[in-house]
Amino acid sequence: MDDRRATQPGDPRPMLRISGLTKTFPGIRALSNLSLEVHPGEIVAVIGQNGSGKSTLVKLLAGVHSADSGTVEVLDESGDLLVGPDALEHLHFIHQDLGLIPGLSSVENLGLGRRAGLGAFSPVRKRRERREAETLVARFGEVFDVTAAVSTLTAAEQRILAIARALSGWLTHDNLLVLDEPTVALPSGEVRRLFDAVRRVAAEGAGVIFISHRLDEVLDLADRIVVLRGGQLVADIETTAVDHDELVRLITGRQLADAPAPRAHSRGEPVLSARGLAGGSVIDLSFDLLPGEIVGVGGLIGSGREHVAALLFGALKRAGGEVVVRGEPLRSGDPRTAIRRGLAFVPAERREHGAIMDLYARENLTLPRLAPLRRRFGRLDRGAERRDVAEWARRVDLQPLDAERPLKLFSGGNQQKVVLAKWLRTDPLVLLLDEPTQGVDVGAQASVYALIAAAAESGAAVVVASSEAKEIEALCHRALVMRDGRVAATLARHELTEENLVSASLGLRQQDLDSLFGQHGDSGAAVSQKR
Amino acid sequence: MPDEQIALPRRSQVDVSTVLQAAAADAGPANGVPGRRGRLAQAAAWASPRRLSVVYFFAAMFVIFSVWVPATFLTSSTWHSLLADQAITGLVAVAFSIPIAAGAFDLAIGSEVGFGGILVAWLIVPRGLPVIPAIALTLVAGGCVGLVSGLLVVRARIDAFIATLAMSSILLALVSWISGGSQILNLPNSLQAIATNTLLGIAYPVWILLAITLVAWYVLEWTPVGRSIYATGGNPEAARLAGVRTSLVIVLSLIACGMIASVAGILNTGQLGVGDPTAGPSLLLPAIAGVFLGSTQFRGGRVNVWGTVFAIYALATGTTGLQLAGAPTWISELFDGVALLIAVGISKYQRRPTRRLAVIRQAVSPRRAR
Repeated sequence: MDDRRATQPGDPRPMLRISGLTKTFPGIRALSNLSLEVHPGEIVAVIGQNGSGKSTLVKLLAGVHSADSGTVEVLDESGDLLVGPDALEHLHFIHQDLGLIPGLSSVENLGLGRRAGLGAFSPVRKRRERREAETLVARFGEVFDVTAAVSTLTAAEQRILAIARALSGWLTHDNLLVLDEPTVALPSGEVRRLFDAVRRVAAEGAGVIFISHRLDEVLDLADRIVVLRGGQLVADIETTAVDHDELVRLITGRQLADAPAPRAHSRGEPVLSARGLAGGSVIDLSFDLLPGEIVGVGGLIGSGREHVAALLFGALKRAGGEVVVRGEPLRSGDPRTAIRRGLAFVPAERREHGAIMDLYARENLTLPRLAPLRRRFGRLDRGAERRDVAEWARRVDLQPLDAERPLKLFSGGNQQKVVLAKWLRTDPLVLLLDEPTQGVDVGAQASVYALIAAAAESGAAVVVASSEAKEIEALCHRALVMRDGRVAATLARHELTEENLVSASLGLRQQDLDSLFGQHGDSGAAVSQKR
Repeated sequence: MPDEQIALPRRSQVDVSTVLQAAAADAGPANGVPGRRGRLAQAAAWASPRRLSVVYFFAAMFVIFSVWVPATFLTSSTWHSLLADQAITGLVAVAFSIPIAAGAFDLAIGSEVGFGGILVAWLIVPRGLPVIPAIALTLVAGGCVGLVSGLLVVRARIDAFIATLAMSSILLALVSWISGGSQILNLPNSLQAIATNTLLGIAYPVWILLAITLVAWYVLEWTPVGRSIYATGGNPEAARLAGVRTSLVIVLSLIACGMIASVAGILNTGQLGVGDPTAGPSLLLPAIAGVFLGSTQFRGGRVNVWGTVFAIYALATGTTGLQLAGAPTWISELFDGVALLIAVGISKYQRRPTRRLAVIRQAVSPRRAR
């Protein structure tokens, strides 16, 4: 089978050659004269802010748009050079939405779209299909139950399955895979699994285009990094030649200020105290929150980190324990009361829980606190509302600065600004944030950090639950690291480093070892051995 | 709305950023000081067929039938009876649009109308109640039906679609039980008067429709309550987390719906002059068609009562004209069915690629401005 391979690693000819690709939308040059090559076995990352042309590139490759000029050439299995639609056929895409059917098993999902014609009525050969599926999955070094419903798989397993499905139709491995933001909402352990799978595909001779917002991942995975800005290619460099800061500079075109270092906060009575809080994946959580303080909550997914903010707010019903706000207990599972008592909650899933995408930005912004806009006969003072919203839109630097459009038309970063603004407008005592920069590009991330810091400075107590250790390190006065539903470690400001956070949250998997050897975080290596 | 929850794989592939830029560029001239071109473009956008297709449709119907059958179409009696006849359908549609705005279908609405109509007749004739208390009781009963549906939805957590479909069947049984399956005759003139008397040459039901639509419009568009209703319809979980009492909103919207349906039922019985156990269910489809067609108007895909009322009358103008031109009576069912399909089709088209539309709009508008 190897003699069928047209391109060996080291073959001077690229498997994908994009030259002079240009795409203009009315008024905007979305992509201008882009040239790019992908060689067999190579992982090329394409990065850039929203609007940089990254997504236009994906859509041109996927055939959603057609280019104004320029060519896309692909080498097929037999070494022929393909141009145009035939070439695009050889690209395989993994999007954020994987197109898997949650209720069906892996086997069934892999089989979808394979049977056609009269064969569709012939009985399914269960055992054979199952073995095939297992082999396919094993190619990525994975072992999971291929007969279980896809919805029960972890996020990484689902992505690996999607990749497996994309690859299953190939005769050879040397083909092109385009991964479009595959790690959104994926916890770090799962990201590692996915990356291992991607590396295997590349090692077998496939070319991979990897599109991502997350610079760390790009630096980790890619062999080469292509940076787009304003539709133009600004850099095409070996990964070894750049670091994180350099990438940020290339992406934004300017030196990005780090998140503002947290200022010292006033000591005082705690505004919020949790006592023996339980619910969701949290088993036992107690802590005090002081005014002006930013407390980070770290931990792997499943550690309880992902439910802390929701539990405190009451989005999730408590199974036990109590939350005390300014000396008085807060009812469980009652967001309305929580808001009245001065709590604000920015959930991780903006689309599902954070905002109402079909309503205007203005309507989203004022929803939690309409009372001050109420006039006689229950009338809503639209003039006052507009002025209020315009002020907030300016304050959070909303782009475009027009709140009179449905929220879904804004970019992720700007949607998040609206969500933050709607809560800051309630002048909260306690601001609870879950993954505040998820799906937010680098530029908007800085604004989000600045808003959080400003809220704390004006006296709000802030909780930031995040899967990104860097975020907690940069932003917080102290951090709680969750493990198995409990607080495994509390890190003060001077102990707050990415390494400490990661090792504290990983250490937690080594419960047995820890109980034997005592409590310390030196278990990262042991973890990888165990896996 | 349920169809929002079905994730279309294609959809997430469409990226926002490019379109955002297009949209931003689009907003550019209209945003600042509107120059003459800007104002023209604004006017064009305001009057665009996408926003006002029903108005254009109405105008087209009017012109066609004025030319085709002027002798009958252009008489005041035609228009009086069109206005009065459709007032009840209009009321039903307005009632239906309130829970829809909050994200809940009330498929029982047709039966609620029938129930209200038969209950008022039953209270007056066999029970011997005076007209006013009978009407008041009927309104309360309509509210109670809405309350039951609402509790089924928010407490028992039965999907609104299923809960109200079941309620519809139960109400039909109640109607048969109350009426014994036959018409209730000998209604007092005062009840009929409510449905047939005129003020300024226009029948009472039209005024009632106007009044209820005004109130519904005010509440939906101009009050925090309305904002809560739309928020609940847009995303119940996000609305709940923003402090909206979504359960209360859904229950209240179904109660309002039930009460307005009762009003329609009373007026229907008044117009017919008898309590008819078969009246009501046939109003469901025109009401849904009106609401969905109306939602494509004025507010860019959002359910709104004026759009609904306009849609009802535009459809009725079409069917009336065709009937005057000699079409058989089933033409109205055909019309409603087709209208519903077109309306939902349009709203899908409007909603799905809002992003792509922004680009298309951008591509089209410079040409239009020239």
